Amino acid sequence: MERLDDEVDAPRGATSREWELFVSEDPAEPLTHAGSVSAPTAAVAREQASALFAHSVERLWLCPADETRRFQTAEQSLVADDAHADADATMDHEEMAAETLQGDAE
Amino acid sequence: MISVSKLLCDLDAEGDGLRYDAADESTKSQIRDEKQRRPVVVWNVTKQCNLYCDHCYAAADTDIADGELSTAEGKALLDDLADYGAPVVLFSGGEPLVRQDLEELVAYANEVGVRPVLSTNGTLITEERAASLKAAGLKYAGVSVDGLPERNDDFRGLDGAFEGAVRGIENCLDAGLKTGLRYTITERNAPDLEGVVDLLTDVGVDRFCFYHLDYGGRGTEIVDADLTPEDRRAAVKRVCDMTRAYHDRGEEIETLLVGNYADAAYLVEYAREHMSEAQARRVYDYLRVNGGDPTGERVADVDYQGNVHLTQFWQGYSLGNVRDRPFGAIWEDESNPLLRQLRNREAHLKGKCADCRYAGVCRGASRLRALTTEDDLFAPDPQCYLTDDEVHGPAPFDAGTDVANPAD
Ligand code: SF4
Repeated sequence: MERLDDEVDAPRGATSREWELFVSEDPAEPLTHAGSVSAPTAAVAREQASALFAHSVERLWLCPADETRRFQTAEQSLVADDAHADADATMDHEEMAAETLQGDAE
Repeated sequence: MISVSKLLCDLDAEGDGLRYDAADESTKSQIRDEKQRRPVVVWNVTKQCNLYCDHCYAAADTDIADGELSTAEGKALLDDLADYGAPVVLFSGGEPLVRQDLEELVAYANEVGVRPVLSTNGTLITEERAASLKAAGLKYAGVSVDGLPERNDDFRGLDGAFEGAVRGIENCLDAGLKTGLRYTITERNAPDLEGVVDLLTDVGVDRFCFYHLDYGGRGTEIVDADLTPEDRRAAVKRVCDMTRAYHDRGEEIETLLVGNYADAAYLVEYAREHMSEAQARRVYDYLRVNGGDPTGERVADVDYQGNVHLTQFWQGYSLGNVRDRPFGAIWEDESNPLLRQLRNREAHLKGKCADCRYAGVCRGASRLRALTTEDDLFAPDPQCYLTDDEVHGPAPFDAGTDVANPAD
């Protein structure tokens, strides 16, 4: 367990829930991860995933990304140290409003 | 993207940062060849934007999303793209200039050998910001303007947005930054097309990219906002006519069409009708090498949370996340049957596209539009405006024509 101590806890969805997709093309084979779809509910996620994979798979699972815990070894981490240390990289609202259309300020 | 000025007026634009024609590179080194097979990667650096445009594919608003890639993660992503051999990274958003570390990221992309280019609404580009982006090594800025002032401002949800974008463009040009226009053609702004080009050529812009709407982003209203196929054909014809008129006057503007590869078929038809059979053949041969719609192959998208998408417009489906797996591993993973099918889409296209004689230069245009309107990944693109007579019949020309020695 110590080996898999890096938890990837950043969300995968911003505008609606995200659903991890697992599919198999051959019913005898195990499911494999095939990305994710954005959808507000499992029913809508099912519709979207079906439209994308109906042509190719025999089995399809949907797992809410926000209920999926992702662990990996530290070496697999995108960055070694705290990824969110500088999460304030964008402007705040006031600054954004103040900077907009300032291109012609002499 | 399809270069109208190159195909109809033989304009060879200097390196614009966004690869156009793989054939041009085919004699160069192996590394160069490999880069040509790698996708141009759009990176939406933030969801945050200072405007609220009707057709925004990224569903941007004034807030950032939870878990946006940090500066350190962004650099790690750029390392990852460099390792994989991505030739170009297009910084997009949201509005990328709201990120205070944009210059740092641009400089880093440059340092690791991924050509940095920018897509922006232009309204945050002050003289200082233009200069710092240029100093960081930015190679190109594409500024969005979607109509003459009144229409553009209405659409972007901000009075003065047009003027602001023009100031931003001027600041870029003054800083010595190659700058072009991005214009997304909709029903509302199609009439303004020539007017905007006239206005901006006076400002000094000489590169104009016309985008067709793809059907991702803010809801289904987007489909209603689009042109009918007939109006689209008329608008594309106007882009062709305008490009030739400019060149006839000795003004060498560069014009490009993006987002609907039915344009490739149309350009062959246009050249045949308005120019010559030999020109039509040249156009066809170039486009055949160019390879048709690039979705899931020559273009990729990484969103602000690190999700990898098939194009920047296709945000509703993600192949995986760069926090879990390197970009190259995700992009190469053809255990994903969707990716495999898309890359072999000719075998799956239906209806009008299945036996279209232009399928080789178009590849069924937008699979996302087909999916959104027909719920079928391989249905014909609803925005194909070619007639049945045009798409049916034998191949337009014999295969194997030598581009360098056209038959005229
Ligand atoms: S019929 Fe399909 S393949 Fe042919 S031009 Fe139209 S969209 Fe492209």
